[in-house]
Amino acid sequence: MQALEIFEEFSLYLKEMKSQGKKVIAFMSHDNIPEELIDAAGFIPLRLIFAGNDELMDASHDYLPPSTCSFAQTCIGIFALKPSQFDFFDLIDYFIVSNHCVSDICASEIICKYFNIPRIDFYISYIRNSNSENYFRLEIAQFKKKLEEIRESEILDELIFESIKKYNELRKVIKEINDLQIQGSKKLKLMQKAFLFGPKIINELREDIASYKNSIAHNSKSIDLLLTGCSIFMNDILIDLIEEGGGNILFFDTWIGYNYYSQLLEDSAIEKSPNPIDLLASRYVNNIYSDHSVPNFLENRITHVEEIYSKYNSETGKRLGIINHIIKFCDHMSLMSSFFKNKLQEKGIKVLNIERDYSRANRGQLSTRIEAYLEMVDSE
Amino acid sequence: MKNFIGIDIGSLATKIVLINNGNLLDHKTERSTYDFKRVGHNLFDEILAEHQLERNDVFVMSTGYGRNTIDIADDRVTEITAHARGAQYFFPDASSVIDIGGQDSKAIVMSKKTGSVIDFQMNDKCAAGTGRFLEVMAHALEVPIDQFGILALQSSKPASISSTCTVFAESEVISLFARGASKQDIASGIHKSIARRVAGMAKRIGVSPKLVFCGGVAKNEAVKKYLEAELGFEIIRPEYPQLTGAIGAAIIAQEKSKE
Repeated sequence: MQALEIFEEFSLYLKEMKSQGKKVIAFMSHDNIPEELIDAAGFIPLRLIFAGNDELMDASHDYLPPSTCSFAQTCIGIFALKPSQFDFFDLIDYFIVSNHCVSDICASEIICKYFNIPRIDFYISYIRNSNSENYFRLEIAQFKKKLEEIRESEILDELIFESIKKYNELRKVIKEINDLQIQGSKKLKLMQKAFLFGPKIINELREDIASYKNSIAHNSKSIDLLLTGCSIFMNDILIDLIEEGGGNILFFDTWIGYNYYSQLLEDSAIEKSPNPIDLLASRYVNNIYSDHSVPNFLENRITHVEEIYSKYNSETGKRLGIINHIIKFCDHMSLMSSFFKNKLQEKGIKVLNIERDYSRANRGQLSTRIEAYLEMVDSE
Repeated sequence: MKNFIGIDIGSLATKIVLINNGNLLDHKTERSTYDFKRVGHNLFDEILAEHQLERNDVFVMSTGYGRNTIDIADDRVTEITAHARGAQYFFPDASSVIDIGGQDSKAIVMSKKTGSVIDFQMNDKCAAGTGRFLEVMAHALEVPIDQFGILALQSSKPASISSTCTVFAESEVISLFARGASKQDIASGIHKSIARRVAGMAKRIGVSPKLVFCGGVAKNEAVKKYLEAELGFEIIRPEYPQLTGAIGAAIIAQEKSKE
């Protein structure tokens, strides 16, 4: 299914949910937002996972300078551009202001202030220790209280447990998708759809997985790749350029992919836990692959990529290409990109750092970089 | 098959070479223009006619910006890989390449044994650090492009150009003029600025001596001199720096035919 068809389908779905009185709560893609609580409250979580284009980024420049994160520009552009390219954004009731990064805070605040969307605050600590866990519990409690005020009734533990189970199943399904031996673009579309619609389409996704398992494997002539760094969001051309150049993303080591399903909870832990908030807190503390989990975020990421590389290499005898995707002005990703690349290259693993925005203007140069990298991996 | 053609369709110039048994038989260069396909076809037809060759007598490998759109090519390769092989053709012990073309600049670290690419870095989509930057600045100073480097080397007190953006740098040049800086000093500052930017990119991937400087801008003495100062070692330049990519493409075509 093409992205535009998914948007139409999603728009209809949201309108139907709104007609049933459900609130839509949006947030910039973030791997620590407790979507289970939003779902348990009976609301619809809406992740902003949309790649931009020149028009959207330009539209954002009334509110922030061009030298800011391209994703933040896109998110603001979505609201600023009229007529909207995504009509379902008019259906948003609340927007979560969070601190995944500086751009997340600023863009979320701008969206709430300038487009008159009521805000819900949810801040996290970057560090993972007992202090941050305690702080996370306090934020969760406050977040839950706010949702209860909106719905005008308590969110019962049973409802939260139920939502935790649903989202845990979604994580399992996304892992199954990432493990499929199919073309990367097909895999990505399934994952993006899963992120947009959430657990309601688990059965549909399982049917897709089953049909792909019975189909022919992807073109074995293409060079297999691992994508790390920033996710590829909906409507982005990057995956097309990679496939046109002769590459295939086999493993999505990004938030849309591994980072998300690495937060999987054990079924037995869910069954045994007396308190659903404990489960959400444990998920947060164990989320060591999160982009903002410190200390040792980068070391964890490097070790993880190295493990996947070695496994692939021993199973196939081939080298796995590594693309580190950096959205322009994403300080977090770009500041660490040289260290990440150098550390892996010291181990003989070649890495392509791609720094880019969502403009279509640099398509030619981007293709050259990707193709040259694939030639480099192929020549080894 | 003995004859191999490499055609490098760059944003400013299209270069074509004919090699036979690894020997460079002929080469031609033409401005790419907006109709680079026609330019490529014309050069191809000319070189075939002059050597009394038929289409089936040659294997054509395209490279450069227009490599995917030129329909005479039997195969294609990126300019990164092609430049590395072309540099090795001229200098068998080459370790690195800096190529400054019309639209982009690139630094390559390569295997001394095979000429294959170990790492590379390209400039961003903007014109800073490219031949286009020099063209815009030469135009602003009203100096012919082939005299620009010579003028820069006459400077005794190079001006400081801090802008990396071509548009801002042009404004900076005008403001330097207003403050009474000489053409020579401004030209020198412009050349130093491009050398600083490209050297920074090259250092990030660990270029080393036996570095081959190629691309159209390699003909500019001032850029070469300032690059050497930035890198801290002498760089080498092939006889035909602009042809490196096309020659590399032809060499790769020849190797592929043996596989």
